[in-house]
Amino acid sequence: MKRRELVKDNPLVDVAAYLFLEDIADKQGAAGMNTYLMSLASALAQSMPEEEYDTWEAFVEALKNGDSALSTFEDVEMPTRHCVVTTESPFLRGWQEYTKRIGNFASIHYEVAEYYNSIVKPGAIDSQDIIIQTYRAEMAKRITVEGKELRVAHIATVAPDGTKRVAPEEWLPILLEKAGITQTMLNMIMRNNASVWIVYTE
Amino acid sequence: MLDVALVSLIQDMSEKAGVEGTIQYWLRVGENLARRMGKEAYMGWPSFNVALREGRTAFSIEGDVTALTDLAITDVDGDVVGYIYALRECVFNPTITRIRYSVGEVPEADRLVAEEYNNSIKDTAVCNFCVIHQKFREEVARNITVAGQQLECLQLADRGFTGETKIAVDSLKKIGINEEYVRSLLRNYACVYAIIMHGARLRGEEEEA
Repeated sequence: MKRRELVKDNPLVDVAAYLFLEDIADKQGAAGMNTYLMSLASALAQSMPEEEYDTWEAFVEALKNGDSALSTFEDVEMPTRHCVVTTESPFLRGWQEYTKRIGNFASIHYEVAEYYNSIVKPGAIDSQDIIIQTYRAEMAKRITVEGKELRVAHIATVAPDGTKRVAPEEWLPILLEKAGITQTMLNMIMRNNASVWIVYTE
Repeated sequence: MLDVALVSLIQDMSEKAGVEGTIQYWLRVGENLARRMGKEAYMGWPSFNVALREGRTAFSIEGDVTALTDLAITDVDGDVVGYIYALRECVFNPTITRIRYSVGEVPEADRLVAEEYNNSIKDTAVCNFCVIHQKFREEVARNITVAGQQLECLQLADRGFTGETKIAVDSLKKIGINEEYVRSLLRNYACVYAIIMHGARLRGEEEEA
């Protein structure tokens, strides 16, 4: 069993974190909240040690085993050498506790994602996607494989309520080619997983 | 992941807004969380304690809470006006352990926020998260009535990740519970608090007066 599976987070801490973000949004709006979410994810990535791998195989092994900081918070599978599938959102329990104890996920979490999609990069459904996608991108900058900086790109995300968001149509063929999967395979993966992304070096 | 990310932000926030600023933020988060969870009303202490055991009260979000029903708090007339409750595990412990095995170490701001809270507000924090959840409990208690009476929460004692303990001697005197007894509870529990009826004429208070 992986170590992180042994230590479940506490619902109070997670729900409090969501409310902290909503408090920021009350004062600074979606733009301010987006800045905070991205800072939060960047600060986390910056606090992680850098990583280097001699071979692509060694990196893939570390990623799959959860030994890389890139997969510390999520369980991943790799259907191909470059395609990464996150099986369950790292925020699922917090989201479930929030909806169970507070009610509907506050609309600001979706509004900030729209802001992020228009200003930064399209690909987020809610605030949670901004955190994880920023974290992956920032963490990738701290990893080298065969001497080259790692790159990350996001293909699709599925929210805890089943809402899906796929990369823009004009980007999709390139991303799928890099991932080594077809559109049909992507749809199959999205049915029971949380997100699909790729890792590569230039 | 969100909890670990939030802790990384504490360092940044404390550097920019000062630890006092972080405390103000955390107090507001605790208050908002309690407000968002709504009001509750119970017929009497047995129904409240059953609801707590079954995870139906707002207090249950903190985890496995035990009502120490052998420790009833009585008023000057000998009527039961509250009980002592204990959390098996500190709400922040899983986060600390996850930080330990993901980032490596907890940022220094965690300790600084707790110290500032102890110096300026109440000497009961063993980590930065105590600020949120102690405030949360105080506010939750105000939103609950037992037999029509509003409740009040008193933080009594807590034990941190590294074994450091805090005992609120004044609150213990107020409810007439021995300090050493509460210290012995910390062997098996991480956080001990009392829930009493607001405005109750407690024995300890009367004796002091």
